[in-house]
Amino acid sequence: MTKIMLYSAFAAYAASVLCYLLNVGLKRRSLQTVALLLVLIGFVIQTTQLGLRWNAAGFLPVTNLFATQFFFSWALAATYLYFELRYRIHASGLFVMFMNLLLLGSALPRDPQLPPLIPSLDTPLFTLHIIFSFVGYALFAMAFSLGVLYLFQRHIGAHQLPELSQLRKLNEEAIFLGFALFTLCMIAGSLWAYIAWGTYFSWNIKSVWSTLVWIFYAGMCHAKFIRRWQGSGYAWLSIAGFGVVLFTYLGIGLLLESNHPLE
Amino acid sequence: MATDKTFAQSLWSWCCSLKLTIVLASLATLLTMGGSLVMHFNPRVFSGMDMQVLNDWWQLRGADNLRLSWWLPAAGISSVLLALNTLCCLIDWLGKVKTRWRKSGEYCIHCGFILIVTAFCWGGFGGWRLPEQVLQVGQTLPLPELPGHYLRLDHFQPVIGDSGRPLDMLSDLSLLRGDLVLKQEQVKTNTPLIYGGLVVVPVSFGQRADGFRFATANGIIDLRQGAQLALADNGLDLQVLNFWPDAARSGAGQVVYRGDQLNNPAFEFVLSRAGQPLWRGWYLLREGLPQELRRHGVILRPTDPLGRYYSVLTANYDPGAYLALVGSVFIGVGVWLALFSFYYKRARGDRPDVA
Ligand code: HEM
Repeated sequence: MTKIMLYSAFAAYAASVLCYLLNVGLKRRSLQTVALLLVLIGFVIQTTQLGLRWNAAGFLPVTNLFATQFFFSWALAATYLYFELRYRIHASGLFVMFMNLLLLGSALPRDPQLPPLIPSLDTPLFTLHIIFSFVGYALFAMAFSLGVLYLFQRHIGAHQLPELSQLRKLNEEAIFLGFALFTLCMIAGSLWAYIAWGTYFSWNIKSVWSTLVWIFYAGMCHAKFIRRWQGSGYAWLSIAGFGVVLFTYLGIGLLLESNHPLE
Repeated sequence: MATDKTFAQSLWSWCCSLKLTIVLASLATLLTMGGSLVMHFNPRVFSGMDMQVLNDWWQLRGADNLRLSWWLPAAGISSVLLALNTLCCLIDWLGKVKTRWRKSGEYCIHCGFILIVTAFCWGGFGGWRLPEQVLQVGQTLPLPELPGHYLRLDHFQPVIGDSGRPLDMLSDLSLLRGDLVLKQEQVKTNTPLIYGGLVVVPVSFGQRADGFRFATANGIIDLRQGAQLALADNGLDLQVLNFWPDAARSGAGQVVYRGDQLNNPAFEFVLSRAGQPLWRGWYLLREGLPQELRRHGVILRPTDPLGRYYSVLTANYDPGAYLALVGSVFIGVGVWLALFSFYYKRARGDRPDVA
């Protein structure tokens, strides 16, 4: 059942990417509508699956790499839908959903078994920490996509993409929202660390890099007020920032060994 | 329109400048990025950082390894300067709050950041940690940095899952000042004992052999240090003076203590009649019952070891913890306010001011 739902969501997202891609050549409005519908279908399947897994486990299942990739992908789809339904960013969906496809695709070969819950993770603070962290990450991924699209629009140009000023505005919004949610993730995480280990900050590499992610995006919240960093500068910062996020989320676990409770 | 600023005004503008913020934040970020990798690849120097507060670790390790650790004070100074920069900004805003009150959310975040940096420094210099303290039931642990204060383990109960996996450890703990109980708490995973800036969390637990179960002529009996066994008919009394989980006989025939792991358990007994000692000596279980005891008709057949759980706890004292909590409340509230004001500004079509 898990695998069927997983592959169905993947197929829906893959089909939506295909529609967005065809739309680049054929420029049909209907293709955009179908693509959006497919994303919605994929998202509903993923939401149902997440609900079922949560119900079966009795806790939000985000304690191994498969589960976090799945949740990240769900959050990215939700983020995209928010921007699409609110601002009608249409063709920008190609890049975002392609990223989501890579994310969900890399989770497919992994074992979807629900792992038992380590007692220290059995607290609502952990659940909040994870929800805010991955929704924040998804918004940073969205900002990364918008940054890439901004640079593409600026240097190559495509009339199906939103205007530069719109892309810039959306990028700033994604960064601000991401920062706000990531801040809540850091607060929940610090409170949890305090009751679980007696300190609200630990000198392990994952905690240090999470703080760096926070400081980086706090800096970005200000960079938009400085002329030199507006536009392209901001787009490049969004790309660099997502590099920091990826290293914190995946790099530390895969390249280095961490003693963070989730690695 | 252009007016010449005085030196003091220029200095204040510089202290409040956003460009300075970006420079300091970038500096702190880059130094910590590099430093975190140095940390990761030099566990010999850095792995104990969480065992002590920052200042103690610096005195013990950091200062002696400056080649590897210089980035830490550099990043620390950048962060403190960033907090001062934020403070200047906040003061500047407070002066204009009547016209700029809509930015309250943003400035709540700024205020929270200043409080957290202050709290972190306070904790790093004024706190202390006692990592991994072993405590047996009934035992007290003095807190050396809080004279007259003790932790006492009143009861301990492990929670073991169906598969035999330990799930939790329930330590009934009392914090005492002299004889006065200041706080009692059942400490378990995610439920510490918190009192002032003191927080006590469970780390692990174990079991230590502290006696043996024996079959005697009159049934089963448990012998631990201090136990007394009245031998039925002949008015004899056997008292346990000592129990060692691992002991050995030296060349001179003396019994020596070897450790806490159950290996070669030994009892020191005294045999008496009407309060008059008849014999005192060691019974090493592996050697069999001493001749003297057998002669007096004592029958003891060891069956199982007896164990007593102990709890391993960590005690941390961070005088800045409450300030950090207040800071995080400021940041949390500020984030929500800033979210509203962000969309409010967007709705009014505001663009960011350009510095
Ligand atoms: C690490 C510390 C800091 C954090 C976490 C932080 C966070 C934030 C956030 C989240 C915003 C809202 C941005 C937005 O509307 O998109 C903001 C705005 C702002 N911050 Fe900071 N900030 C920090 C330090 C500073 C410092 C040092 C200054 C002073 C130079 C400063 C000055 C400002 C200003 C002027 C605004 C814009 C308010 C407005 O006009 O909307 N911040 N800050």
